[in-house]
Amino acid sequence: MTTKTKTKYLNKYEKEMNMCIRCAYCFEKCPVVKEEQWDTDGARGKVILSYGLLTGELGPSQYIADKLFRCTFCRDCLDRCPSKVSILEIISSARADLVKAGYASDTHKHVMKNIKDTGNIYGDAEVISQERDGKTPLFIGCQYLGRPNKTKKYIKILEKLGINPVIENEICCGYPMEVLGFREDFEKHKENFQKSFPYKDAITLCPTCTVFLREGHQIDAKHVLQVMLEKLPKANLGMKVTYHDPCDFSRGLKIIEEPRKILEKLGVEIVEMKNNKENSRCCGGGGGILMTDQDLSGDIARKRIKEAIETGVDILVTSCPTCEQVLKKAATEIGESEGKNIVVRNIEDIIWKGVK
Amino acid sequence: MKIDINKLKEIVGEENVRDNIADLYVYSSDASVHSSKPDVIVRPTSVKEVQEILRYANKNKIPVIPRGAGSGMSGQTVPLSGGIILDMKHMDKIIEIRPEDVICKVEPGVINDELNIQLKPYGFFFPPTPASGKICTIGGMIGNNASGIRSVKYGATRDAVIGMKVVLANGDLVTLGSNTKVDSSGYQLAKLMVGSEGTLGVVVEATLLISPLPKFRAMGVANFATLEDAGKMISNVIAAGITPSMLELMDNVAITAVNNAQNLGLPDVDAIAVFECNGMTKEAVEYDMKRIKEICKKNNGTGIRVSDDPDEMTRIYEGRKKLFPSLSKYRDGLFTTALADDMAVPMSKIADTVHEIHEIAKKNNVVMSAYGHCGAGLIHTKILMDTSKKSQWQGAKRAVKEVYEYVQKVGGTTSGEHGIGFSKGPSFKQEKKDSLEMMRAIKKALDPNSILNPHKLMDSPDDWVTATPLRYQVNAK
Repeated sequence: MTTKTKTKYLNKYEKEMNMCIRCAYCFEKCPVVKEEQWDTDGARGKVILSYGLLTGELGPSQYIADKLFRCTFCRDCLDRCPSKVSILEIISSARADLVKAGYASDTHKHVMKNIKDTGNIYGDAEVISQERDGKTPLFIGCQYLGRPNKTKKYIKILEKLGINPVIENEICCGYPMEVLGFREDFEKHKENFQKSFPYKDAITLCPTCTVFLREGHQIDAKHVLQVMLEKLPKANLGMKVTYHDPCDFSRGLKIIEEPRKILEKLGVEIVEMKNNKENSRCCGGGGGILMTDQDLSGDIARKRIKEAIETGVDILVTSCPTCEQVLKKAATEIGESEGKNIVVRNIEDIIWKGVK
Repeated sequence: MKIDINKLKEIVGEENVRDNIADLYVYSSDASVHSSKPDVIVRPTSVKEVQEILRYANKNKIPVIPRGAGSGMSGQTVPLSGGIILDMKHMDKIIEIRPEDVICKVEPGVINDELNIQLKPYGFFFPPTPASGKICTIGGMIGNNASGIRSVKYGATRDAVIGMKVVLANGDLVTLGSNTKVDSSGYQLAKLMVGSEGTLGVVVEATLLISPLPKFRAMGVANFATLEDAGKMISNVIAAGITPSMLELMDNVAITAVNNAQNLGLPDVDAIAVFECNGMTKEAVEYDMKRIKEICKKNNGTGIRVSDDPDEMTRIYEGRKKLFPSLSKYRDGLFTTALADDMAVPMSKIADTVHEIHEIAKKNNVVMSAYGHCGAGLIHTKILMDTSKKSQWQGAKRAVKEVYEYVQKVGGTTSGEHGIGFSKGPSFKQEKKDSLEMMRAIKKALDPNSILNPHKLMDSPDDWVTATPLRYQVNAK
């Protein structure tokens, strides 16, 4: 049963939605449409649903919310769209209107509460950054705060390269609030974030935080790999790996060559997957679906792992903690079900091997 | 008409039927300007399922609209009177590739580019090259008789389809055509199905001619101060017996759009021609390119560049490639609509037609650019307008009518490759007035209850603007 409710966040996108010529070019590599094969699940379908919500031809419903929350925000459609429609802004605005109309999932609400209560997505007050004085602001981000050993490794690498990071008692950048449609919460959170992290530029560890610090907070954020490329000494690790480009890296920040050059510098040979660099396929972990639709997320991730196995190497390296987590799980599943194995590693493990 | 959803679920499985209002809304439109909801969307996965669906629909006189990627520009898959959308994307197997016979057999949901990826290791490709090749299905291409930038050399889908299996309206499965390039006897029913826009049957398997991949190609560009010179160049190239694999034209509106949006610095001339030749030997390609260059010079072409370097070819094609996104950004508040979008005229009339299009657009207060595969006589236009204004739609309607009247006056045709649907119904019916009753008789013989994609082609409404709600919000003014 649907009811008509006025939209708020979608209103400014009417022109953008009219720019969509509904050509379906966004279907080409959309991970969700490739799995589901219904037009409704592609970017075009989501833009049409958003238009329906805006015009009142559709009322908000749980069904529509389920569809609009099934997007990994992998940005592939943005490259395919001939009219360059702001698809992700439209989808996140539709999500915001659906949340406002009462269609937020319990899981997402729980994450918002966690951020509000503890400053991080885990709702664990013990997950905090280790404040330290230094010269260069370093933003760690929730994903790395929850992986303290990895964070320590990155900090040690930075120190070895002569970079002295300053770490604040930071809170979540607010990206989950924005992408999951909790705009009102984000507006309140934004002020707190900017107080906790009062910098105009920063080094970051997480690709998604890097994008959001730039787009959501206008901070000149540089990912740690960009910073360390020139400073890294050469090594000869003699490894052969394939590299998975996180979507926010390759399509969001256009950081494509830096991780490859770093691996090459460390004596690591890269065997590219069929879909690589700006055409890299999504791991299935983005846009919130990992929290609410693990089956879909897993299907997408297993496809990516199969592509990695096709390269013939036995190590997949990536540079995003979420990609790492999702792909590791998929690799274990493929190993168990098909007996084909590949190890998933984060790039900081490889770098640490090269510099320690 | 009450559709028994449970019956359809029994046929294809619950997971392949959707009737939520959200899905119906999404499937109510394609890349055209129209919108009209179906009652249900069904995804068959086998021939038997298609047969059972059609038997049920025919018995109950329920419209059935086959649909591929839904990228058609003329409302081909918009269900004017509701019914069942048959989403064919799940029937996507490449059944066999027979390079020794230069054919392949595919299901209708196979994506054009995916087929080409699978053909490449054999050294072959499927020649029709629609711009939507990365997402459009072979079934959709057959429905529309799609072609594309290489039609000047390879023709359209109809030229490459030699046989098929079709489920008729009553559920019967028939095999049409053959496995051979030549097939001289009787009515060419497989060819008849091509371009019939799903009104005569549902194609469930197609036998396609494939071509060897050319080993060499080169590309060139030339600027023309007048459309007349560009038009003559195009006619002269074709008349000289050269078969370029691409011969494209961009008019000044298109050039301005690209320069405004992309800052490419294309010369401010009346027309730019982009051409390509391909072949199995470098010498043959070079010879043809040399001859085209000479013809460009003879027709006052300037800034002529020719190259077989991949990077340079990319640069040459840049302006043409970026045209479409540029149109969307031509002027704030104007939106691209697929109207009067693919007429074809005799080659000697290209320049006059483009001039006329400009005049008509000006008169009716809309923006129209002309570009396209002019080597095949095909001119693409799009109408750019403020879709929220009723007056703009009135202007667009007049412009469409006037453009098609002119096209027919010079001996051209309404649609060169995008199909009729019902956006182009009025012009199509005028142009084909002597054959409408024959078409209706064929339709009646094959689909007496008119369940297959009704109200399209010869049966389309007389007024495309009011036939369904437009998919845009239109104000009173």
